[in-house]
Amino acid sequence: MQFATKLLIEPNKRPFTIMAAVVIVLALMDQGEGYFFSLGTVFSVMQLFATFGLVALGLGLSMLVREFDLSVAGIVGLAGCIAVITGASSPWLGVLFGVGAGVVSGVIQGLIMTRLHLSSVGVTLGGLLTLQGLTYVLTENKTIGYPNIAVALGLNAPIGGLVSVRSVAALAVFVIAALAMTYTHIGRDIIATGSDRRASRVAGLKTDRVIIGVFAASGASAALAGVLLSYSLGAASPVALADVLPTAAAASIVGGVSVVGGRGSPLGIAAGVLTLCILRSGLSAIGVEPHVHDLVTGAILLAIAVLDAPELLQRVTAWRLDRAERKA
Amino acid sequence: MSEVLLRARFRLRGARARHLVLAVRVVAGGTIAAFALSTPGFMSSLSINALLNAISLIGCVAIGMTFITLTGNIMSLCLGATVSASALIFLASLSFGVFAAFLIALLFGVAITAVQGFLVGSIRANPILVSIAGLSLLIGGAALITGGQRIYPSGEGLQMFKGRAAGVPVEALYFFATVVIGQIILSYTRIGREMTMVGSNLRAATAAGIGTTSAITYAYVIAGACSAVSGVLLAARYGSGDMELGAGYDYIAIAAVLVGGTSIQGGSGSVLRTLVGVTVIAIIEVVLLLRGFSQQLQYLITGIIVLLVIMLHTIGERR
Amino acid sequence: MPILAVDGLTKRFGPNEVLKNVSLSLEAHEIRAICGENGAGKSTLVKITTGVHAADTGAVLVDGTPTEITDPHHAQELGIALVAQELSLAPALSVLDNIWLGNREVPLFHRRRELRDRARAALEKVGLAELPLETPVSRLSIGWRQLVELGRMLTRDARLFILDEPTATLSDVEIERIFAALRALKAEGKSVIYITHRLGEVFQICDSVSVLRNGDLIGTRRTAEIDRAQLMEMMLGRSLREMYPRWESRPGPPMLEVKDLCVPPVMQNFNLTAQRGMVICLAGQVGSGATEVLRALAGLAFDATGEVRIAGQPVQLRSVRRAQRAKMQFISEDRAGEGIFLRLNVGQNLVATRLGDHSRLGILARQALRATATKLAATVGVDRARLRSQADELSGGNQQKVAFGRAIGGDEPGVLLMNEPTRGVDVGARADIYRLIRQFCERGYCLVMASSDIEEVLGMADVIISMYRGQQVAIYQRGQADLHRILADITHPVAA
Repeated sequence: MQFATKLLIEPNKRPFTIMAAVVIVLALMDQGEGYFFSLGTVFSVMQLFATFGLVALGLGLSMLVREFDLSVAGIVGLAGCIAVITGASSPWLGVLFGVGAGVVSGVIQGLIMTRLHLSSVGVTLGGLLTLQGLTYVLTENKTIGYPNIAVALGLNAPIGGLVSVRSVAALAVFVIAALAMTYTHIGRDIIATGSDRRASRVAGLKTDRVIIGVFAASGASAALAGVLLSYSLGAASPVALADVLPTAAAASIVGGVSVVGGRGSPLGIAAGVLTLCILRSGLSAIGVEPHVHDLVTGAILLAIAVLDAPELLQRVTAWRLDRAERKA
Repeated sequence: MSEVLLRARFRLRGARARHLVLAVRVVAGGTIAAFALSTPGFMSSLSINALLNAISLIGCVAIGMTFITLTGNIMSLCLGATVSASALIFLASLSFGVFAAFLIALLFGVAITAVQGFLVGSIRANPILVSIAGLSLLIGGAALITGGQRIYPSGEGLQMFKGRAAGVPVEALYFFATVVIGQIILSYTRIGREMTMVGSNLRAATAAGIGTTSAITYAYVIAGACSAVSGVLLAARYGSGDMELGAGYDYIAIAAVLVGGTSIQGGSGSVLRTLVGVTVIAIIEVVLLLRGFSQQLQYLITGIIVLLVIMLHTIGERR
Repeated sequence: MPILAVDGLTKRFGPNEVLKNVSLSLEAHEIRAICGENGAGKSTLVKITTGVHAADTGAVLVDGTPTEITDPHHAQELGIALVAQELSLAPALSVLDNIWLGNREVPLFHRRRELRDRARAALEKVGLAELPLETPVSRLSIGWRQLVELGRMLTRDARLFILDEPTATLSDVEIERIFAALRALKAEGKSVIYITHRLGEVFQICDSVSVLRNGDLIGTRRTAEIDRAQLMEMMLGRSLREMYPRWESRPGPPMLEVKDLCVPPVMQNFNLTAQRGMVICLAGQVGSGATEVLRALAGLAFDATGEVRIAGQPVQLRSVRRAQRAKMQFISEDRAGEGIFLRLNVGQNLVATRLGDHSRLGILARQALRATATKLAATVGVDRARLRSQADELSGGNQQKVAFGRAIGGDEPGVLLMNEPTRGVDVGARADIYRLIRQFCERGYCLVMASSDIEEVLGMADVIISMYRGQQVAIYQRGQADLHRILADITHPVAA
């Protein structure tokens, strides 16, 4: 019992526990019919992962340094549009420009935040609106088709029935991020900046560079998601993924990232994203209606919010003691 | 240690910085006003009406958001969904009569946000996380109950909330009432003062014996009520509704709050400031429209101006 | 050749001359204390030697060479390391990562054996040989964290360590560990500048002491050659007796009774009886339980249990509002974090606890609130003109007076709980606050004060309760105990 509680409460282990729990529950609901445990389900999970995973990674990284990059939702659309427009002849060129746009957007916002000592909510909100505006301008409010059908099909073609080029690319990014965070001092610097920025600065860390770097990475990651998505859809449209932000935030939080910074890892984020994707794909594979996915996600998030609440223990203890004294 | 010296230095900077910020704000406001007034057709009744409409609907939500931000809880990503859900409840309850339906919608909005406020206030659950959870639950719950169908009015009475009265759109009157009530609560009531103190320094508020749980819960309650009002107005305008009605309102609402000058860190700001913020954003949009900018450019320029104004506001403040 | 010397340093900020022609020098193998009241210039001196500020005139000499220290990084390269009161460790990281955090030499792939070994060696030197390198710093007590920070400085080849109030938040065991580490550093040839208010420690660990007062260097003496009273006179420039007002104890009826107060994990079974018109001082260092008792009585401890009565009426713990209703008010030791609303104005701060008294049906009576604020400002000696200024523009002393003003003001005098009432307050304001305290006594308040400053305790208390590690050691009436007695009680009492 102690062990089980530890798995649930300890934020490092929790994302994997939740993921395992979701898989088990869905398997049970499947009742051996084979809808859940099928290659098709895994494939659709990985396809979803390819899109949401990279956005969640970007948002999660910004949460690690105790900021919140609202603009990821905007860069997904913009990067997709830029890639479609510039990548007609050479898809790699489109990738370059799209991801480049993400980096530039992240660096500019990072600079504004660090030089002017502004909070990320205001800056990235303005960034989000600006990026959405740029997307509208570029597409002139129409859907732009991507003529290179071969690329679109190739990106989504199943490999071994389980993954596609798109999801492998996303996985690769996660692996690189995880390795970088663990084996280089980048990970240490990011966690330090999120854990106590003032202390890190006094210790000699150039926290401004860390923040700008994180936002550049966040922009790049979300941009890549947008580029791959647009290519695979064969089109880029100005209105893409309206609910990206809450889903990405939910994935990061389920993945153990703390909203106040200093805690989390790419692997955890991956687990969080997978959990939500498994939930979504699994439920529809079994034939459950889609709104159940939202309800279950909401319930999980609420539970995490309560369990992680800093004063939960205090309130409960005070209440218990009050009750005991009243009885006496 | 050398606090005396640090204070002495800071004192000069503090007062002077504040005057500078005030000057910048006045200049910026004047520029926007000049632009607006010099735009042909701006003062026409058509454009004024469009302006008032835009302001009223988003404005109600923005006022609700102000209270959440003021108490130090940054923002809520759930108010837009609350707007939609309240609209649906309102439409579905019209069979009980329009006043009852309004009341029911109001109570519903309040209930949704009160639970969130209680969790944030009592155990300090993370406000963004709680709002995302609420968003998911609302969307899922609405889909469960409505089965994805549009909701149509179950009775008469929508006229109360649309059309014109006293020469202005009815929405504007409701919005104006919300502004007045909201500002009165903030400036003249005890709970309003306590909300500001909680946002300024939560620990100090606790040590001063202020009921932090109730202050925060009430702030969320007001946000829910404001969202419900907006939902009712939207339902009346469109005659039917689904959960897309209020989608995206959260971002514009928090933009209006920040453009108006309320501090994202809490403890500083007011309903009137948000009114200014909403008005500024709406004026910019209308001016751009009248001057012939395409819709795309409107979005872009509005976004850039929002960013610039937010930057201007916080330059005088410390981090 | 002195490791560090300053010659004729002067510094002014605006109209204030903060350092006036200060000269001193420090040798290797030397632990030098720098003492002085708040505002004496200690922190400015430190900031100049660590590159935060530049002096207006005068020179800083490192190993005999005049050097211009451009920024903190440069100071570190010269071997000057500062361990400030606010530590610079990231709680989420391990000890190993914290030691190398911010170090420019560290290569990109930082999981190297060599770095581990060097970190281990540094930790051994400060007495943390058994600490696993992977321990997250968040799990360490403050004393251990300070030692980790010392370890970090060693890996940056520091030769001169500047410690700013290192023991203010440490228990006695941790203080001993710091002392052991400092002695080890001294034996290796490093030097230490030790900034402290705790005169006892000056004589325990330091070889010499320099005293600053109002920007002047009063003098430098070897600790073997002076005594405590002389040191105090050098610091204050006046005799101790003038700081504290004289009074006559006139105890009234019993006001506060505390029985079996338990505050986990530190405090067990605390008992107290206090009368109106009395000042009770709980003397103790960090970890003694004095702070915990006060906070529990104030209603700020969520797990405190025990019996409390005010004027015979029982009061429930664990709620600030219940305490306030029983006329018990709290003045926190953490002014900026818990005592004052920095962004609100002084008037709003003063009435922060009185909103209930001045509102009808939820509406604030703003006129009455303003009147009350004016009255309170007058009572505690804050200028009326300041009522509309933002609280963060006031000096520490004035802010503390506002904190006091906020705690009084009800019609009936009740109980005032004061935790370290003069922390971070300069000399002039301290005398004002002591006078205020006695004024409140005469008005019928019952004051309970916790302090780790023994001179303050001796100067102000009608009754002294000395505490050590959650136990009440002894109770003394005024005049019954002296400094050495109390110091012994709160540091290592003989078995009770």
